[in-house]
Amino acid sequence: MRYIIIGGSAAAISAVEAIRSLDRESPIDLFSEEDTPLFSRVLLPYYIAEELSKPLLNFRTADFFDENRVTAHMGVKVTGIDPKAKTIDTVDNQSYTYDRLLIATGGNAIVPSIPGVEMAGISTLKTMADAERIYRTKGNRAVVIGAGSIGVEACISLTRRGIKTTLLEQLGQVMPTVFDTEAAAIVQQRIEDLGVEVFTGEKALRFTGDGSVQGVVTDNREIPCDMVVLSVGIRPAAELAVQAGLTIGDMKGIRVDEQMMTSATDIYAAGDVAETHDIARSAYFLNAIWPCAFEQGHFAGLNMAGRKTPYPGSYRRNSIGNFIGIPAISMGVTQAESCVIQSDQDEFREVRVRTKDAYKKLVLRNGKIIGAILVGQTQKAGLMSILLRKQVDIADSIPLLMSERLSFMDLLPILRRNADQFSEPEYKELIDTGL
Amino acid sequence: MKVLMVDKEKCTGCHQCELWCGTEIASISKELAAAIHETPQPVPRVYVEGKPFALQCRHCEEAPCMDACPNGTMRRDPETGMIYVNEPTCIACWMCVMVCPFGIITPSSSLKVAIKCDRCRSMGYPICAEVCPTGALSLVERKDYRKKKF
Repeated sequence: MRYIIIGGSAAAISAVEAIRSLDRESPIDLFSEEDTPLFSRVLLPYYIAEELSKPLLNFRTADFFDENRVTAHMGVKVTGIDPKAKTIDTVDNQSYTYDRLLIATGGNAIVPSIPGVEMAGISTLKTMADAERIYRTKGNRAVVIGAGSIGVEACISLTRRGIKTTLLEQLGQVMPTVFDTEAAAIVQQRIEDLGVEVFTGEKALRFTGDGSVQGVVTDNREIPCDMVVLSVGIRPAAELAVQAGLTIGDMKGIRVDEQMMTSATDIYAAGDVAETHDIARSAYFLNAIWPCAFEQGHFAGLNMAGRKTPYPGSYRRNSIGNFIGIPAISMGVTQAESCVIQSDQDEFREVRVRTKDAYKKLVLRNGKIIGAILVGQTQKAGLMSILLRKQVDIADSIPLLMSERLSFMDLLPILRRNADQFSEPEYKELIDTGL
Repeated sequence: MKVLMVDKEKCTGCHQCELWCGTEIASISKELAAAIHETPQPVPRVYVEGKPFALQCRHCEEAPCMDACPNGTMRRDPETGMIYVNEPTCIACWMCVMVCPFGIITPSSSLKVAIKCDRCRSMGYPICAEVCPTGALSLVERKDYRKKKF
C-alpha cells in the first residue's frame, strides 16, 4: 500500500496518526506547499501578539515525520492528480503513484476585490508567511476588515502590542457566523473595553496610499492606518480536485461520502477543503475549523488504511478563549432562521437565559439540539456538544439543560433512553452506576 | 486501563474528595487553612454535583479534548493511558472545554490554563480515592463493553 497526503496541517497530520495506528509499514509521502511544518494555524494571532514564539506554535514535535516514518516533501507544490493512472505530479516535475490519496489542502484566505488591495501593508492572515509579514509591518494604526474569529483575535493581538486598531464589519454585528446579536453585543463590548474601535454595518470601499496603504475609505469615513489585515473568510483550496474532475459541492468544497471518500475511488478529502454531512444543518456543509479538520483526518486515515469507519458528520464549534477576558463558546446553528434546509414538518425552537454576566441559548429542531451559545459560564458546553452530535431528543429536559447547576450525571436518564447511541465505555460505565 | 468508579450506595456527597483534591493537588500551600485564602482560588479536579456522585475526567479512549487541542497541550501518557494538560503550553483557548462531553474541564481565566484531573500523575495514586471516608471511590479495571469488531 502506498499512501500520499497532500497538505500538512490538522487533517493531514491526524490522518497520518490514524493510518499509523493500523499500518506501521506502508510508505506515506506527504506534500505541503508551506515550508514550515507542523505549526498550528489557530495560534497565529498569538504569534502576532508576541505571546508565543515560533517553536511554541507547533502542535506536534519536530521528530513527528521520522517517528511516523513519513517522507515529508515540504514546500513542494502538487500540480496535478490523475485519478485513472493513480499518480500525482509535483512542481519539480516528479510523478508519484499512490494506492490511497488524501487531499487535505485546506483553504486560501479570500482577498476581496477592493480598489488598492494590492498595496504594501495589506495582508491576509492564514499562513506563517502572512503572520510574519503582519508582525514585521511597522506602524501604530491598523484596520482589520472582517469580524470573524480570526479578525477579532487579530484586533486584540495588535492592540496588545500597542497598535491602535479599528475593526470593520460589513454586517450588523461582530462574529456574525458564530454568535447571535445578543452574544455578539457582549463580545463587542468586551473588545471595545480592550481598546479596539469597532464599526459594524460599514463597508470598506477603497484603500488610499501611495504604494503603501495609508487609509481605508468606508461608506461613512476615512480611517488612517499603516497596515490592514483582511479576514473576510477562506475559500477551499480545491483546484486540484476540480482539475481531476472530482465532485465539488455548493460551497465549492470537495464532496465526500461517509467514509471521507471523494467521487473518485481511493481519493479521500478532509479538513477545510472537504464538504461533509453537517449534523446540525442536516445538509452538506463546509465547517472550516480545527476540531473538524482533526476528526475528518482521523476518519479518512482509518478508512484509507482499510478499517471502514463511518464519519458521524461535522458541526461548527468556536471558542474565543481567553482573548476577550470571558469565555464564549458557540456551536451548530446560531439561530433557527439560519437553517437553510427546512421542511414544513420541522419545528424550531429557541431557548435563552440571560443573567448579569452570562448568556446561554439553545436552538432546537424537533426537540433535538442543533445549536448552542454559552457566554460567561461555559464549563458545561461539551454537554451540549455531545447532545448535538448524537441528535437525541431532549424536549422534556430543557429546564435542566438551561439550569446553572447542570451536571453530566443529570443527563444519565437521557443517555439511558438512547443507550445504543452512547455505546462508548466512558458512557456505559456511568450508565451502569444505576443513578 | 483502570478507571475511578463511584459506588452510589456509599457516596454521601460529603465533598471530602473535592476538598483534598483542591488542597493537595491544586493549591500552592498544600495546607487547607492556607489554601482557602489563596488567590486565585485552587480549583479541584473532581466534582460532586447533582446527585451525590464524584465525577472526574474519564480519560476517554477516543478523547475529543485531544482532537480539539490546537497545539498538543492535551496529551496522553503513553504508559498509563491517562490524559493530562501540559500546563506550560496551554494557551487558554478553551477548545477542550467546548468538546468535553462530561463538562469536567475548568476554564480558569485567572490561571489561564485548562484544569482537569490527571489521576494524580505526579503522586501515583489518586488522592480522592485515598481520602474518601466511606470508600465509595475506587480504582477498577475498565470493563470491556465492545463487541469483537473483526
